[in-house]
Amino acid sequence: MWKYFLRRVLQMIPVVLGTTLLIYALVFALPGDPVVAMFGDKPVNPTIAAQIRAEYHLDQPFIIQYLYFLKNAFTLDFGNTLRGGRPVIDVMAAAFPVTIKLGLMAFVFEGIFGVIFGIVSGLKKGKWYDSVILIVSLLLISVPTFVTGFLMQYFLGVKWRIFPVTAGANPGFIDLLMPAMVLGSASMAYIIRLTRTEVASNRTLDYVRTARAKGLSNRKVITNHILRNSLIPVITYLGADLGALMGGAMISERIFNINGIGNTLYKGILQGESNLVVSIVTVLVLIFVVCNLLVDMLYAVLDPRIRYE
Amino acid sequence: MTSPNTPLPGQERYVAPVEETPLHAVDAIDENAPATSMWADAWRTLRKNPLFIISALVILFIAFVALFPRIFTSVDPNYCTLDYSRNLPSAGHPFGYDMQGCDIYSRVIYGTRTSLTVGIATTLLVIIFGGLIGAIAGYFGGWVDALLSRLVDIFYAVPLLLGAIVVLQMFRTSTSIWKIVLVMAMFGWVSIARIARSSVLEAKNLEFNTASTALGSTPARNLFRHIIPNALAPVLVVGTTSLASYIVLEATLSFLGLGMPSGTVSWGGDISSAQTMLRTQPMILFYPSVALAITALAFIMLGDAVRDALDPKSRTE
Repeated sequence: MWKYFLRRVLQMIPVVLGTTLLIYALVFALPGDPVVAMFGDKPVNPTIAAQIRAEYHLDQPFIIQYLYFLKNAFTLDFGNTLRGGRPVIDVMAAAFPVTIKLGLMAFVFEGIFGVIFGIVSGLKKGKWYDSVILIVSLLLISVPTFVTGFLMQYFLGVKWRIFPVTAGANPGFIDLLMPAMVLGSASMAYIIRLTRTEVASNRTLDYVRTARAKGLSNRKVITNHILRNSLIPVITYLGADLGALMGGAMISERIFNINGIGNTLYKGILQGESNLVVSIVTVLVLIFVVCNLLVDMLYAVLDPRIRYE
Repeated sequence: MTSPNTPLPGQERYVAPVEETPLHAVDAIDENAPATSMWADAWRTLRKNPLFIISALVILFIAFVALFPRIFTSVDPNYCTLDYSRNLPSAGHPFGYDMQGCDIYSRVIYGTRTSLTVGIATTLLVIIFGGLIGAIAGYFGGWVDALLSRLVDIFYAVPLLLGAIVVLQMFRTSTSIWKIVLVMAMFGWVSIARIARSSVLEAKNLEFNTASTALGSTPARNLFRHIIPNALAPVLVVGTTSLASYIVLEATLSFLGLGMPSGTVSWGGDISSAQTMLRTQPMILFYPSVALAITALAFIMLGDAVRDALDPKSRTE
């Protein structure tokens, strides 16, 4: 198993290099000269401009710039923002905790409710509550997250006043509850569908019949036999989704006005803060890749067949 | 004729029922009929599936609206007068007016074409490009596979929404709707490529393929006659379902202000501009959202039905 883990970690290196290069290339192809932007309204002084260009290696070929970026990123030095000159690492450190909190809450929400509803639905295929769960999950998938967000904000926040309408500057658990539900809603629907399909198909397999023939109680058959096998793909999905949630938090953060990483990234893109954008996207991609790696390892632990490929 | 189970008078003894298939049922099978292919079989299952019938009818209707919007409304969606701003529904204008004084019903009708075009075009691009890359990687294997798989991994590591935002920012000035199609396809092809690769790989190693080679068929014939038809099913299923997610993603990008150019009538753009009036007139947001949800729902349901039909293993109940 350790050999498999090592191989997966080594495989990750070219992927991370390739992905960061891709993002770097995309962001620095953005129109506009960052050096000119730094001068703002003032006339551009060519000597100072050349100085700045040399300082930020902007006069070097693209690939050299990328290598400098990589070298600095290893020491957590992402440079400064173009406007204001704040260190990018500080901006990220201020915004990430909120998003991590939000992402984890959404993760727990979709995991618990997705699996419970999926199991109920899969075990009782065809019952009326199975149909209700199925229809609700289909609706959650086909309605865009921002519409779900607006509707929840309008009904739960404005009309019935159950939750705070926006999260504000230092959001606590209650403030983030509704944004987390919105963020996790679509994934929850996918988990319900996945769990339902898995449980329903495993329920009729021979090993379950054998377990029942041995005289095991219904409860034991479900928890020890059906669930164990059904939840492997669900866990895979959940793990991969944890990384995606951090990136997808942008929508939720914009609706509920949370100063997280998504909102920071969005503003950065609009203002042409290429340094900030490339750093945030790189970190988000790293989180996503590491989550996928952990999932693959977990999968190998859970399903012995994977190890022997 | 009396049943063999009912004893006749004076004949009280057990007679086992005839369990074998009656001969006339065997005789009824037409041996000269052409063998049903996987697709014909799938089509027969589909025809009987109410999920398929409903979703197909809804999609046909949506396509009809997209092709001939004039049949449904005579109002120009871009004819807006601020005098009518946020007016309530009236005769000939069933959904009322939005902030700019445009007829909402007309905009919902005309928005169909945009969403459907974006969804179908992206899906086609993704299936062709992703399917091709995946099939090549799976069929040739070796270093080709290693190289293409790493390329897929690189693009796979960029979440679709993030990648699309970064690239669309570059083309903010462009007013073409095709930029969205291209950008979504640019980051969407990887999931299809992965599926195509694994199903080609699976089909390549199946016995019928070896049998076909043993009977003297060429690799090309194998690829087109056996491997591609077998590998196509999962690609089509995922393609149909992802069509819905592209329509939803286009709306999300419009919500972020990076989607359709302002002149284009699109549901996502209309939902996004209605958000400011959510607290006073939520119905303005409601209509385009419902249209979007119905369209996405129809394609997801179609994808489910097609998957059930193409995967005989799932037909246990």
